[in-house]
Amino acid sequence: MSETGLYCYAITRGLDPAALEGSAGIAGAPLRLVEHGGLEAVVSEVDLAEFGEEGLRRNLEDLGWLESVATTHDAVARLASEQVPTAPLRLATVFLGADSVRARLGEWHDAASRALDRIEGRGEWSVKAYVDVDAQETPAAEQEPAEEMGAGRAYLLKRRAATQRREASAQAGAELAEEIHAALAGGTVLSRRLAPQDRRLTGHTGEMVLNGTYLVDASGVAAFKDLVARLASEHPRVRLEVGGPWPPYTFASLDPQ
Amino acid sequence: MTGSYPALSQTSSGEPLQPVALVDLLDRLLGAGVVISGDLTISLAGVDLVQVRLHALITSVRAEMVPE
Repeated sequence: MSETGLYCYAITRGLDPAALEGSAGIAGAPLRLVEHGGLEAVVSEVDLAEFGEEGLRRNLEDLGWLESVATTHDAVARLASEQVPTAPLRLATVFLGADSVRARLGEWHDAASRALDRIEGRGEWSVKAYVDVDAQETPAAEQEPAEEMGAGRAYLLKRRAATQRREASAQAGAELAEEIHAALAGGTVLSRRLAPQDRRLTGHTGEMVLNGTYLVDASGVAAFKDLVARLASEHPRVRLEVGGPWPPYTFASLDPQ
Repeated sequence: MTGSYPALSQTSSGEPLQPVALVDLLDRLLGAGVVISGDLTISLAGVDLVQVRLHALITSVRAEMVPE
């Protein structure tokens, strides 16, 4: 390793260094804490050839690299968040040394404390909703007119009908997503809708109409899951997928208030 | 560079992530999380991480789907 920097995974409050023993960060480097003002940053050393500006630009385009760093980042954030209030940092936040980390912890102390208060005792859960677009179509009548009118006209009519169906279906999907999200948001502390995922990336079937994420109190997880199950049974055309708990990535942001 | 880092012993299954799990993770790790400017990530502010992610993932998916 040539020059090294400190990769910062998360900010925690009250994490015992002993909790990190036996666990490794990126490239197997040992995890350690940098403390300041009652908060800790969970860090490990990384090679600046890999995590410097140039290295990051190059490596972020490399799926294998991105996956291994993201997986390790998530594992560290989980390890911490299972024990103490944890605000996970975005991928690839790198400092040149412990003094820089401490300076930043001081600068962000109040905002970080508010974020940690907000997520303490809570987890992030995701709910995705899919509708099967094809299942809504009723193609029974659409092929018949072809014999009576010109093939070209029949084709255009068919195309127009298909477009109208898609539009109606997209509208119905959007309304359904809004309804489900509103119901889930009503029972949770905070909620947000992420952009629906691209099928080319996930390979999911049907149309993802909702990619919601919810901050749920530990005591409310069972009720949240019950609510998802109830919504699923009320809307048989929709497939709901619940996932979690995640470290509170979406809800630990430092809003400068 | 395609480093293969050992994940934490507590959580590592040794299996590669399913594409959907990786997308879920990147949704959060790139789109959310506390944004504290490190000494080096400042320079990343100009990079559209969503583009980076989609580019990397679509390239990979296409590579898997198209045999040539």
